[in-house]
Amino acid sequence: MGGTPGAAEQPATERYEPGSDADFERLYRNTYRRILGTLVTIVRDVATAEDCAQETYERAYRGWARWRPEAPVEAWLHRIAINVAISDRRYQRLRQVGEVIKRLGRPAPGPDPAVVAERSELVEAMQKLPPKQAAALVLRHYHGYSNREIAAALGIPEQTVASRLAAARKHLQAVLGG
Amino acid sequence: MSDLERDLEQELHRVLDAVSARPIPPRRAGHAGFGWRAAIGGAGTALTIKVLTGVAVAAAAVTVAGAVTTGSLNPEVWGQQLSDRVVNCKQQIANSGQHGIGDCVSPFASQHGATVSSAARHHGSGNGDGNGNPNGNGSSNGNGNGSVNGHDKDKAKDHSPPAKNSSP
Repeated sequence: MGGTPGAAEQPATERYEPGSDADFERLYRNTYRRILGTLVTIVRDVATAEDCAQETYERAYRGWARWRPEAPVEAWLHRIAINVAISDRRYQRLRQVGEVIKRLGRPAPGPDPAVVAERSELVEAMQKLPPKQAAALVLRHYHGYSNREIAAALGIPEQTVASRLAAARKHLQAVLGG
Repeated sequence: MSDLERDLEQELHRVLDAVSARPIPPRRAGHAGFGWRAAIGGAGTALTIKVLTGVAVAAAAVTVAGAVTTGSLNPEVWGQQLSDRVVNCKQQIANSGQHGIGDCVSPFASQHGATVSSAARHHGSGNGDGNGNPNGNGSSNGNGNGSVNGHDKDKAKDHSPPAKNSSP
């Protein structure tokens, strides 16, 4: 599978000391791009994904002293990131209601060309999936995690991962006509 | 691998590799993002405002209540003045052969009541309960407890505890 290095493919030499600021900074540098990639498929745009990524590392830093070295660190980060993305989705839904009420009677603004450029039908469709389904898809098909690793990362049974992946694929097939 | 899965991987790499190629920004330190968002627009602000308002109101209430209860913004001054007044009144009555020092103490208590109730109003009690009757019901019981809360004796009945409910 041609994914980016997944948790299983991380260099074995990468060791982190819980509570160490220097190690957390190294962790940030080593994992930021993959966490951002996951978030982009769940939240509405890249800017929001970047914001969520920062929030993810802030939350992780608060729990850094309690992180256990035997736990896969990237899986731990992904779990936090997905929770952050879910929170953001809820926040955006509430915000959208406010925006709709404010816009009533006014023409909707045109799309921002910069935002359109970075969009793809697939990512747009994924952003409409339930966040946990989108997360399972990107962990599987972009990061190259196995179902077992995804299950460990999200703290769910492997069977649940399989059913989420199946539901997500079915939905995408229907939307994209694949 | 199905066609869908292959397409999925290709498309994800096309889009996300471009996103991931961006330079890594410096890590945000401290509480920003959702933390601030929640604090500024969420329940955090409401809670903070409530707590601060509560503290301010409580502080004002303690000041006013203290003044009203003791009869002076400085209780020591008022207490000493009252003691002196009572001693003087007792001496006057002993000399004149009258009974009870109420008539002697009452004007002093009334005057003091008016002063304190005015101070209480300036503290913005604004509760509309008529506290601080400038006439001050300086009671004539000889204790010199000039009432400054404006509650006459009939009103005092309103403060009696409610009848106990005998039902289970």
